[in-house]
Amino acid sequence: MTAVKLDNVKFEYSVYGSGANRVLDGIDLQIEEGEFVALVGHNGSGKSTLAKLLNVLLTPTEGKISIFGMDTSDDDLIFEIRKRVGMVFQNPDNQMIASIVEDDVAFGPENLGVPRDEIIRRVDWALEKVGMSDMRRSTPFKMSGGQKQRIAIAGVLAIRPDIMVLDESTAMLDPQGRREVLSVAKKLNKEDGMTVILITHFMDEALEADRIIVMDGGKIAIDGAPREVFRESSKLKEMGLGVPIAKDVAERLFENGLPIDTDILNEEELIDRLCQLL
Amino acid sequence: MRDMSFGQYYPTASPIHKLDARVKILLSVLYIVFIFFVPSYVGYFVTLLFITAVFMIGKIPMRAMLKSVKGILFLLIFMAALNVLFYKEGKVLVDWWIIRITDKGIDFAIKMALRLLFLVMGASVLTLTTSPMELTDGIESLLSPLKLIKIPVHDFALAMSITLRFIPTLMEETDKIIMAQKARGSSFDTGGPIAKIKALIPVLIPLFTSAFRKSYELADALDARCYNATKNRTRMKVMKPTWRDVIAFFVMAAFITFICLDKWYFHGLDALLVEFVRSII
Repeated sequence: MTAVKLDNVKFEYSVYGSGANRVLDGIDLQIEEGEFVALVGHNGSGKSTLAKLLNVLLTPTEGKISIFGMDTSDDDLIFEIRKRVGMVFQNPDNQMIASIVEDDVAFGPENLGVPRDEIIRRVDWALEKVGMSDMRRSTPFKMSGGQKQRIAIAGVLAIRPDIMVLDESTAMLDPQGRREVLSVAKKLNKEDGMTVILITHFMDEALEADRIIVMDGGKIAIDGAPREVFRESSKLKEMGLGVPIAKDVAERLFENGLPIDTDILNEEELIDRLCQLL
Repeated sequence: MRDMSFGQYYPTASPIHKLDARVKILLSVLYIVFIFFVPSYVGYFVTLLFITAVFMIGKIPMRAMLKSVKGILFLLIFMAALNVLFYKEGKVLVDWWIIRITDKGIDFAIKMALRLLFLVMGASVLTLTTSPMELTDGIESLLSPLKLIKIPVHDFALAMSITLRFIPTLMEETDKIIMAQKARGSSFDTGGPIAKIKALIPVLIPLFTSAFRKSYELADALDARCYNATKNRTRMKVMKPTWRDVIAFFVMAAFITFICLDKWYFHGLDALLVEFVRSII
């Protein structure tokens, strides 16, 4: 089933004194259930706005967005949609509501009026999923960024969404924390069939997705499998985006006269190609 | 840095800690009200025994108890001094210039000071043995009848617990800003008091900006987690009074009965005690 469908979506906001500022300029996009999509783009490309449109924190100025066939401009469907689209934000500190881990995770289902036994079951399940069961009675204050962000993910999971949007959720974390969050996202996608939309500006993270959507100036610039997207490395660099390190190394070797195949994504492939040359 | 979100909470496992927060709040209110009815020194002595017992059962160390008293020491002395100096009735002991010290004045001042002292000690039992989260939940639960007249009790309670939750975050932020401003050459510990206050402005402004930004992000996070999705919100943690709460209630009831007897039946046990001692001699 189609999870997310955007039809010529435009979004603008007015800035006092300087008129309307168009952030999204005619986006057409379709994401199927169970996909793992990475949304990349440099600052101001409109990727975070797009994320906020998905769970009705914002509504489009023009065009139509539907989540599992539900129109986001329908006021009666707001909570129905928010239940289906879970969203994890950038700063883990600013999305914690309670001072105790399990209370924070329970917040979503409590808001939905889920019966008590079911809340407990969901909290257990969500904390287990992110590997934080041991910490359920601790306070998040002294935890690492990666742990906090995993708790934030558990808080969203307890709502039992079908789509998980990670809005730059790894941007403030150290490499260890990024790996933790990313592996949780991958696990949810592979084991539970959850649709994951990962918004990031780290190309090495985007690589983990099945599909990469590159945004630039409020439009979709490139959309395809990682390999296809990174073939257009010159275009990516023009937009101020990088390519994965292995790819970059291969390209530089090629430029310096080494007859290496540059159509690679990760380190293993790079090692393979280099070995072939020997 | 200490985790400030716990306030003065002293985390340990004791029968007092395990009491239902609502029961503790109600009993504290009762205690505070009835402390004002204690008429005699005998009564205050019993109160001292009572509150010491509560501290001991609550496994609260002397240090924590003294700390709660230290905060009001100045107020206590100040009030006692005023009472001693300006109480007009009773037998005059010292009469000099505008100062007139009477026996009743001294008596009144001591009783007032004891009252305030025991009041603060009693109130601090509540905050020392109840975590802020439990306290908020308890207050919400106690105020829930107000929902009938459309007062958004839950929103208030949430605002309260979010405030507590953000204290450590904002402290951390303050430390960061102070360090950032120090790195740019601002100094916080030189100059007179006015210069010191002025030096805080470059800390306060970024702190406010960041607090507002955080509040916007938090509002989005609340919305994203379906806040206000239904009026019939459920709760994971349900507070249920147990046999402990019943016992606590009866202990408090016994204490209150003693105070009432002291005041209205014996009209102050001091006189009786004095008579008793005299009869022995």
